[in-house]
This record gives sequence, C-alpha cells and structure tokens, in this order.
Amino acid sequence: MSNLQFALLVTVPVLCFLVIVVAYPLGYALWVSFHEVSFFGGYSTEWVGLDNYVAVLEDGDFWRSALLSVRFTVESVIFTMLIGLGLALILRDLRGRWVWLRAILILPWAVSPYGTGILFAFLGRGQSGIGTAFISLFGSEETINLIAANIVVEYLALGNAWNLAPLLAFFLLASMMTTPSRLYDLAAIDQINRFEVFLHVTLPPLRFTFFVFTCIITVLSLKQFDYIFTETQGGPGNASSVLTYQLYKISFVNLELGLGAAMSFYLLFLILAVTLGLYFFWGRREARNA
Amino acid sequence: MREKRWTIWMTLSVIVALLWTLVPMYWTLKYAFETHSEIAAFPPLIFPPNPQVAAFFNIFGHDYTLASGQVVKGSGQAQQIMLGLRNSLIVAIVVTIITTLVVVPLSYVYARLEFRFKTALLMAVLLSVSLPPVSTLIPFYSLYVQLDLVGTLTGLIIITLTITIPIVTWMLIGFFRNLPPIENLARIDGFSKAYTFIRIIVPMAWSGILVAAVIAFLFSWNEYVYAQVLVTGSRAVTLPAAMSGFLFQVPNPEHLAASLTISLLPPFFIAFFLQRHIVEMNLSDPVR
Repeated sequence: MSNLQFALLVTVPVLCFLVIVVAYPLGYALWVSFHEVSFFGGYSTEWVGLDNYVAVLEDGDFWRSALLSVRFTVESVIFTMLIGLGLALILRDLRGRWVWLRAILILPWAVSPYGTGILFAFLGRGQSGIGTAFISLFGSEETINLIAANIVVEYLALGNAWNLAPLLAFFLLASMMTTPSRLYDLAAIDQINRFEVFLHVTLPPLRFTFFVFTCIITVLSLKQFDYIFTETQGGPGNASSVLTYQLYKISFVNLELGLGAAMSFYLLFLILAVTLGLYFFWGRREARNA
Repeated sequence: MREKRWTIWMTLSVIVALLWTLVPMYWTLKYAFETHSEIAAFPPLIFPPNPQVAAFFNIFGHDYTLASGQVVKGSGQAQQIMLGLRNSLIVAIVVTIITTLVVVPLSYVYARLEFRFKTALLMAVLLSVSLPPVSTLIPFYSLYVQLDLVGTLTGLIIITLTITIPIVTWMLIGFFRNLPPIENLARIDGFSKAYTFIRIIVPMAWSGILVAAVIAFLFSWNEYVYAQVLVTGSRAVTLPAAMSGFLFQVPNPEHLAASLTISLLPPFFIAFFLQRHIVEMNLSDPVR
C-alpha cells in the first residue's frame, strides 16, 4: 500500500462526512447572502445580487468590529503564547512532591468559553469585581471597573488567554519531553548560561507547536462568540462588539438575514486568509526545518 | 548559592501562577456559598461570611433551610439541569469515542507520511474549523428542521463532531511529528503500514491519544452556541444550555455559580487524571 493510498483510506470517509454535514449550511448561507429576507407581511425573499456584500462594505460598524476582532485576536495570541510558555516551564520544573500542582495549573483549560465569560464578568465588573474589593481593603470607596470601554478588549483577551494558555502549555510540555536529555548534558559541558540553554536547547523543538497553536488560537479567537456573549454582550456600548457579535446582532436581533450571511462570508474569508498567510509565511518553513 | 536563588524564583513563579489560575475561578464560584444579600454587598466580600450550600440543593429542586431558619426555595430550572447533566455526559462520551478513533490515524498520516496532494487534503479537512458557529446557525437550524433532528442528541453529536474532528487533528499533528523516526526501522523489519501503525505507533503515542480524547471531551462538554439554539427547552437540553437560564431568564448568581461548579467537576477529574499521566509521558526514544 502506498502512502497516498493509506492517506486516502483514512481521509476520504472523514472528508465525506464533513462535506455532507457542512455543505448544506454553507450553500444555504451563500443563497441567503444574495437575497433580502423579510418577515413583515409573511416570510418572503427577493434576489438582490451583490447588494448585501456592498452594503456590508459601506457599513462603518462593520469596519469598526472587524478592527476590534483583529485587536482581540492579536492580543489573545500574544498573551496566550507568553502565559502558555511560562506555564509550560513551571509545569516542567514541578517535580517530586509538588507534582500534583500541575493538575491545578491546567484547570482553566477545563472551563468552557461560556463559563470563562461568566467568571471574568463577575471578576471585572465595578460593582462585584476584585479591583473594587482590593482597594476597599485600604479603606477606599471607589469602584474599579475592568470592563470599561477603553480597556475592555484587552481584558477580554486576557481572559481568553487564561482559558487557552494551559492547553498550549500542555502541548509545549509534551514537546519538551521529547527533547533528548543528552542535549542538556552537552549544554552543561559547554557551560552556557540558563538563558542560552533556554534559547538554543529548549525553544527550537517547540517552534512547530508554536506555529500550530498560533493558527488554532487565531481561528478560535476570530470566531469566538459565547465567551464575549456571556462576558460583555458586546459592551459597554459597542466597545467590544467584535465581528461575531455584530453578526449575531444583525442576524438574530435585527433579523437582516441576507446582510448577516454576507457579513459571515467576509468573516470566513478573513479567517481563511489569516490562516493561509500564517501557513505560507511561517508554517512551510517550519515544516521544512523539522 | 545559585541553586538557592533559583528555588526562590521558582517558588515565587509557582505562587503567581497559582493565583492567576485560581482567583478568577474562586471569585465567582464563592457565590454558590453565599446568600443573595451577601452577593449584593458593597464593597464585595472576599470570603463568604457564613458559607452554606443552599444553592446546590436548590438547583436540583430541593428547598433548603438556613441556620437562621430562613427557607431558600428550590429552583424551577431543576429538571432542565438534571436532564442537562445526563445529556451532556452522553454527548461528550459518544463524541469523544468517535473523534479519537477517527483522529488518531488521520493526524498520524499527515504528521509522518509524504504523499501527493498532502497540503490540499489537509486543508480540506481543516476547513470546517474556520466556520464561525454564528454564521452557520440559521442554515443548520433549517436543515435540522427538515431532517427532524432539532431537539435530539443525535443532531447535537453530528454538529459537535464537525468541530472536534478537525481541531483535534490539527493539535495532534504536532505531537506525532515529535515521535522518533521509528517507521524506517519497522520497514526494514518488513512490517506493513497498518501493522506499524497499530502495533508500534499507537502504543508509543499512548499519552498523545489520551490527550486527544480529553480535548474532544472538553470541546463537546463545553459546546454552548449550537446547544442553545438546537436543544434548549427540549428533552435533549445540555448542561450549558440549561445553565443559561440562570444568566438570562432569571438572573440568579448563586444558582449560576452552583451549576457552574457542578459543570466543572467532570473536566476537573479528567484534568487530574491527565496530570498523573504527564509524569509517565516519557516517550520511549530508541536513540536516547
């Protein structure tokens, strides 16, 4: 059996399943995006060609939320990478009788995005939040609101990283364990310092994992909805109304299904473009090096 | 001396990491042990003054008498919560089994073998990850109405699989790439591909496979958006959808916190089990 045959044997059934399940909704969304759907005076649809696509591009709110999505995603990726690497190093060095602490450090990963949203909503709000409780210890009557318009996106990204970093840390740890320990022995012989060991021995085998997770976290953050929905509902005002939330508002609150469908294709293009970009500029190089 | 300084830094960073991990969870989950007025107190209380467990009885439909003699009524959502617990478990277990069986050979093939159309085929599998749930919700709903799958566990399992299969494949590829190049040795010994995979690769990658199963379980256990639209209010309601009643229909922080606590228990047991496994995760490197 050739490699290709073996690959097709395991791929084709999965692909068929995915195509059958996903193709209809995708086709339906495409059809809707070329129509204007109205519910007043009975359900009716009217062919409008590319009008919806043009309307989305002319909508200032669309560009605003696209920018918010990008900001949320970039920050999520950066926070998750830094925190994930930090956690992985700590997990690696927890040995002996402290090993059980590992179980605690990977807990946030078990919390749903939905639950994370609830946790960080109560944690950040001025009325119930930890900031207010903390300064009240020093006798202050002020409230500290972390879900304020100017920092809400950063706060959301931090919560997202809280949720996702342990997963990355876990995979980084798995990769670290595959680094042969004799490399560390060699480094000790060469008497290079701790930072150099980290840079030249620990880090290189992790690069592919970093690439994969940059992609995964980018995609998850761009399409993140439940977390933002339970934490801020796009607020305060529309300060955290990212693309997915804007989409929800247009499709489910305003019931402009055609417009919503057109917008969701722009979101899909954005996700695909970013992942393909990451693959061509980074992933291919890593794949060759490995 | 140098070693000693290292230990201090290590201790400090462990403490920071523990605070970072636990404080966000503690802050909301403590509501489960407080009364309504304690939750509303200003400034917010850092520790529950009189911890009690009324909320845990309430969400399962039982009244609870506080030490002060005050009776806290059971919640009207109790039936949904219990159904939700059962259904979430069923969906998560079925999804985990199917995903693991499918994903392990799939990610192995893309991590280790060279063949034509590799990138194109992989992209095709991964494509469905990039579909945002908000944009496929309405089409899925109308499809499910026609197929009579709204309010069924089967329907939810099918949708969840379209999320778990690609994403777990994606994560596992990196893991398989790091295994030592054992296939060449197996080929020299004259083993077939399927035999090499089942008898050599799978036992070697055991820990990675467990991780894959756990990730599939968590994605399924935590899925909210589709559940909210497809099964809320039906006999097939799942726990996150049932819980959302405490958030939106009747805002009730202590019940929300109690049900959130319960929804975290199964994943926590799994995380604990997984941690024990990392210790043994010493890949048998023949070169080492």
